[in-house]
Amino acid sequence: MSLLSMQNITKSFGGLYANKDVHLTVGKGEIHALLGENGAGKTTLMNILYGIYQADSGSIDINGVAVRIRSPKEAITHKIGMVHQHFMLVSTLTVSQNITLGLREKGYPFTDRKLVDRKIARLCDEYGLKVRPSDVIAAISVGARQRVEIIKLLYHEAELLILDEPTAVLTPHEIDSLFNVLRRLRKNGHAVIIITHRIAEVMSIADRVTVLRDGQNVASLDIEETSSSHLSELMIGRRLETLTRPVTASGPGSETPVRLSAKGISLYGETKKILDNISLDIGRGEILGLAGVDGNGQKELAETLIGIRKSDDGQIILDGKDISHLGVKKRKGLGVAYVPDDRHHDGLILDMDVVSNLMLSTYDQSPFSRKKLLNTKVCREHATKKTLEYRVKSSSVKAQVRCLSGGNQQRLILARELHGYPKLIVACQPTRGLDIGAEAFVHKILLQQKARGVSILLISADLDQIMALSDHIAVIFEGRITGVLKNDGKLELSQIGLKMAGLTGAAA
Amino acid sequence: MSTPLTLAGIGETFSEKSGILNIGLEGIMLSGAFFSFITAYYTQNITLGVAGGCLGGIFISLIHGYLSIRMGIDQTISGLALNFLSLGLTSFFFLMAFGKTTELPECPVVEALPIPLLKDIPIIGSALFSQDPFVYGMLIVVIGSYVVLHKTEWGVNIHAIGEHPKAAGAAGIDVNRTRYITALLNGLFGGLAGSYLTLALLGFFMENITSGKGYIALVVVILGRRHPVGVFLAAILVGAAEALQFRLQTMGTGIPSQVFNMFPYVITVLVLFVSIGKNRTPAALGEPYRQG
Amino acid sequence: MRLVREVISFAAILAVTSLAAAVLVIAVGSDITKALNSFFAGIFGSFYSLTEVLVRATPLILAGLGVAVAFQARFFNIGAEGQLYMGAVAATWIGLYLPHLPIILHLTLAMACGFLLGGLWALIPGFLKGQFQISEVINTIMFNYIAINLVGILVRTVMTNPESPLPMSARLPDDLHLPLMAEPTRLHGGLAIALGCSVLVYFFLYKTTWGFEIRSVGVNPRACSCAGISVKKNIVVSSLVSGGLAGLAGSSEILGIHQRLMEGISPEFGYVAIIVALLGKNHPLGVVLAGLGIAALQMGANTMQRRTGVPASISLIIMGLLVVLILGRRYFINPSPNAAA
Repeated sequence: MSLLSMQNITKSFGGLYANKDVHLTVGKGEIHALLGENGAGKTTLMNILYGIYQADSGSIDINGVAVRIRSPKEAITHKIGMVHQHFMLVSTLTVSQNITLGLREKGYPFTDRKLVDRKIARLCDEYGLKVRPSDVIAAISVGARQRVEIIKLLYHEAELLILDEPTAVLTPHEIDSLFNVLRRLRKNGHAVIIITHRIAEVMSIADRVTVLRDGQNVASLDIEETSSSHLSELMIGRRLETLTRPVTASGPGSETPVRLSAKGISLYGETKKILDNISLDIGRGEILGLAGVDGNGQKELAETLIGIRKSDDGQIILDGKDISHLGVKKRKGLGVAYVPDDRHHDGLILDMDVVSNLMLSTYDQSPFSRKKLLNTKVCREHATKKTLEYRVKSSSVKAQVRCLSGGNQQRLILARELHGYPKLIVACQPTRGLDIGAEAFVHKILLQQKARGVSILLISADLDQIMALSDHIAVIFEGRITGVLKNDGKLELSQIGLKMAGLTGAAA
Repeated sequence: MSTPLTLAGIGETFSEKSGILNIGLEGIMLSGAFFSFITAYYTQNITLGVAGGCLGGIFISLIHGYLSIRMGIDQTISGLALNFLSLGLTSFFFLMAFGKTTELPECPVVEALPIPLLKDIPIIGSALFSQDPFVYGMLIVVIGSYVVLHKTEWGVNIHAIGEHPKAAGAAGIDVNRTRYITALLNGLFGGLAGSYLTLALLGFFMENITSGKGYIALVVVILGRRHPVGVFLAAILVGAAEALQFRLQTMGTGIPSQVFNMFPYVITVLVLFVSIGKNRTPAALGEPYRQG
Repeated sequence: MRLVREVISFAAILAVTSLAAAVLVIAVGSDITKALNSFFAGIFGSFYSLTEVLVRATPLILAGLGVAVAFQARFFNIGAEGQLYMGAVAATWIGLYLPHLPIILHLTLAMACGFLLGGLWALIPGFLKGQFQISEVINTIMFNYIAINLVGILVRTVMTNPESPLPMSARLPDDLHLPLMAEPTRLHGGLAIALGCSVLVYFFLYKTTWGFEIRSVGVNPRACSCAGISVKKNIVVSSLVSGGLAGLAGSSEILGIHQRLMEGISPEFGYVAIIVALLGKNHPLGVVLAGLGIAALQMGANTMQRRTGVPASISLIIMGLLVVLILGRRYFINPSPNAAA
């Protein structure tokens, strides 16, 4: 009898399925990997297990008994614990205080700290974890904080531990330590579910793996039955017939002049490099697709190219000019356009109207303003013209952008960014959350710009899109470019998939 | 002067540590002063007066709590609005009850309560142990608050809520309920501070009797780094500056009292300036908490 | 549908406020009709009363404009009171200690310096916020008290009137007075300046690139950073303009009414200005209307107290209540997730 059995789990948000008839079975003393890309439904499934969401239909059995988990508190009573990607730790309190947060230990309200600390020390010994109870969270490393989170679960007597992308924030050394801890947990009969997109780690630590794709099960396998390339195919597998690449202009040959050259870009984060010595070249009229699972440094790279962030190392050269030290405005003036992935926070001012949002980059240029005075008539006319041209559907140009649909909001951003004939477009997840029609429109626009000679960096987690539009495909993993491939129609998905999962070899 | 500042400051400390900034402290103190006066005047009973003051303070602080916690209204603005409201209500009802008199109606005043034996200790005896009950109460509050905030699980919870409410919520702590409790304490101690003004210090009430002491209490909270003992010491500092100013004035130096009045404010600005980077403000101060 | 909801909610606010006022009036034992009559008499009863309302409104509008500009940038300027006093200091200084200049020039210079000093006073907290993210709320309140005490020091030492032991400056020359617009009332040119400023602020906020930046930064600073608009610069600029306008309020009071610097020239104008800005939704036109409204409210309440004994502090209650209701309105229209808590 397995420890956990989730059957027919279905959950939708606003008409879109996050999980559809998903099964998951995990036994005691098992390390189970939940593998899939962004949006595959892994986190949703675990959130349902942990009581953060309730499934629309389906059942959860623990030790053979059907249970309803309506809140994290209930999950904890069922001996389920979860370590989220963003740690739930209070940085100004100590390790010990965080572990007992919300509990009523002996001596409440005057918690017997010594007793608690002894208990923590015992757990540390048992599982090979090393933390000092009196340390303040703010002063310890990220790896140590993760250990605290795990001890917290064990202190709450969790038998099933869920870890959400646990290795995302760890150095390779810390990952080794973590895996040792997981092996100890397994030995002691705990079950561990790891949510991940990193195939190498799945192969090295998991006993079983369940692959999800587009909210549905693809496979549940023992590790012995599979391999890296097999997993990457399962994880990414597309119906090959949907991959048609409209050839509008011949792809650039090696003689195409390079427009954007990024050399040795590095960005240092709290514990490790967010961007690690990235070098990219994009030619005129070339679309370079940047593939990779979200969270591997794409957004930071985009922001560095635009000027929102300054890299710690490296150079950015646009048409021969070094723009590394220029601010956002100057770079925009030189022809850099940005379509951000977070429309609502980075791209638009939702509570302002269409006219204002269209002006955001150009308000201080003529003819929109002269000598600091806005020409509201020109601004309004421009807005009317652009909303027609880009078919932005809104009640009027004075309407608040908040009221527009996602697709129309994206059209607005494109209208704004493409005004003034940019030379480089950095498009970050440009079709995320859009319907088919809006997505097709975005593709059309990008190809139009390509035909005009614009260089485009297309950052996307959607391989269909990357395959359909890119001339070359670069893959980013953990802040490094793991490979650049020419998209000559003979490319195999598995090649890309492996690189996305961090494996650079052709076969594994 | 340090007594009401300490009391109000500690109440505000509880509130801010749990993430609620209450600029309406002035309104709380004023309300406490008024209701303590009215109750003491009509019942001629000081204990009831104190109770009335506490309730008056709680009245205002719970409104602020509701606006901030349930409705998520910007805490700065609601605090200011409550100051106006409190000033208006207390002035209104005072005028209504007593009319425009030149002679201010008086209420019974608390007497000094010397502790037997201890008061006879030379030098410090009269200074420390012949105070009125408010001062003793204030000292108890300081010690008690220190214990609660820094030695109990309740304090840990409050701290967690102000720093990372999501983590606290995930650990099962009822964030909003705890915030209401700290709001209650804020009103209780603030009201007590106001009661001190009428029932111990002055013996009467008049419009806007607090005239800015609530804002000085906010200063004391910052100077004291939101630590009960720190708040106490900061309040003593401010009180000492005031005493110094009185002394200098009676000595007849030409230094205007305003120079000393300015001290707490200038020091606060400097403290804020110096704490660039070393931010010890509760991370979630001023932000409403949304569950889920 | 949305418009209907807006109208209903505003009507509800009006109703609740009126009800509260009525309850208070009755509680005092007064007759509502009599109270209302005296209230309106205090405003419209005579030409003099009307001008008094306008005189009251002048600093409220100016300081309110200042607060509104700051609020548009999400810079919570609670320091209008202090900035007002600094403007008063500057105007008095220029008026007393500068050799005689042609009146127009002298007045203009005095007002301009009032703007500058008030702006400077707000600039410090503004800079601290823009550069170091230090919260401006407590900072600006502190600067209020520092300014008030500074005035107290000045009128007792450096700027004191040598002919009088009272803490106040010497009187400004008689001709250095903002032109009286309706003698023998106190209505002075400050009103014209206030109205003129409201037009200028409208232009500034809605017709210039500076205003566009300030408003954008106030709504979504992150998107502005991504678009290349400097959040830091705009916070600082908004604080300067904001303090300057509040400073003008102070200068106007000196040059139009008091003719000398002393303590207490402001019955909390700076704080009431915050309410004016909130009620006026941070829009210049709204600020003018709200300023007039609040001034009328205060004047009417004063007369009501004189004639019927209903305490004038009812106006404070109404102001506090209005702000709370208007802020809460959004909640009642669209309850937040906390409604279940």
